[in-house]
Amino acid sequence: MSPESVVPSSESDELDPNSCDPRPAARTPSSVVKGRVREQVVRGAGLVVALVYAAMIVWAYARQPRTIAQVTGGLSATIGAYRVEPRSYADGLQFFRRDQFVEARAAFARADPAERDAQTQFYIAYSYYREGWGRLYSTDALFAKGLESANKAIALAPGGRLVVDDPDLQMHSADELKAELQRGLERDLSDLNPMRLFRTRK
Amino acid sequence: MSPRREAVFLPLALLTVALFGGLEPGRAAPFTAPPLFALVLAVMLFAALVRSGALAPERLVHDSRTSLANANGAVVMLALFGASTQVVNLLTPRSGLPLVAVNAFLFVLLLNTLVAAPDRVRLLRSLMVICGSAFVLKFVILAGLSDPEGGRTKRVLVALFDAATLGTIAQDPLTDIAGYLAFFTIVLYLVAVAALPRATYALAVTPRLNAQLTQSLPPEGGSHR
Repeated sequence: MSPESVVPSSESDELDPNSCDPRPAARTPSSVVKGRVREQVVRGAGLVVALVYAAMIVWAYARQPRTIAQVTGGLSATIGAYRVEPRSYADGLQFFRRDQFVEARAAFARADPAERDAQTQFYIAYSYYREGWGRLYSTDALFAKGLESANKAIALAPGGRLVVDDPDLQMHSADELKAELQRGLERDLSDLNPMRLFRTRK
Repeated sequence: MSPRREAVFLPLALLTVALFGGLEPGRAAPFTAPPLFALVLAVMLFAALVRSGALAPERLVHDSRTSLANANGAVVMLALFGASTQVVNLLTPRSGLPLVAVNAFLFVLLLNTLVAAPDRVRLLRSLMVICGSAFVLKFVILAGLSDPEGGRTKRVLVALFDAATLGTIAQDPLTDIAGYLAFFTIVLYLVAVAALPRATYALAVTPRLNAQLTQSLPPEGGSHR
């Protein structure tokens, strides 16, 4: 007998090494057919579940979600089912327009817990910009966080282009906002220019 | 092996190990992809599993099986490789001298296992010892030495130890849940490896042995006299 010959021809014919009874169980033809159908269903379902699970794992390693909300939001965004919570978004906008930036960010974070909405991320970045802006100097930590959110907004926008039609803002595109935040983080001779005192917050 | 074990339990268990093996809660990028050396060690571990008979690839993918069954088997083998890679990644410290030492330790151990060609039970025991000792080293000893929490005396001792070893031993602090998650992942991996379809050597070898024995015995029976 060759080693190949011991390989069972199908799962239903497989020898169970743990079984004490060497005799095959007596089965009727209908139960055999039912058993085979059941086996195919289990195998098919298992294959589909394993492939979906593997795809989720690849997605998690690619997207690096940090919270469960980001996981669920990201997965629902993948199938186009993710929505921003409108009431919290409206609260965030109100706070933002009253220069209550910490409150605005809290409301925006509630509205977009998975950080999957480009416009909300744009407003979060803008709130960091406005809070960190100063006539003499800007707060680097806030600008860095703003830059991170601006990058996130650009990555989420279709084609990387995001324009927000809000008359209260002086920068309407995510590209302008990103460039302004980057300029705020740079150190050069223009920082010593006294004319900086006359610049305005955008 | 039952279809349920092959199509449902093994892929899901091994994929779960692959998911949690690279998870480091609390970091900015919590899912860590395995380094290249982890792939090398995983190949050696895979080979050791096959050589010892803990895994019989022909019982997962074979001409005599249906396409669907072969697809299930292929998924199990791919998931096993992914899980092995991530378990090695999980057990390896992240930086400094411990990273080099543990990588060398695992390489030599797996090489030794391959050369020694143990049977299935011995390999599983050996794997349990390797995983257990690497777990204790990383998540108990090194984590304790790198823990920023604690009283003033402990922090002074940790700082002195860090200075004495030129910072080559201390690791980034781990979150409390990291050790529990690692323990669960390792146990799940060992359970899944133990549940893999084993080689049925007895069936394959016995007829050959019988044939050889018959040839070597004297005709018409022999006696020691």
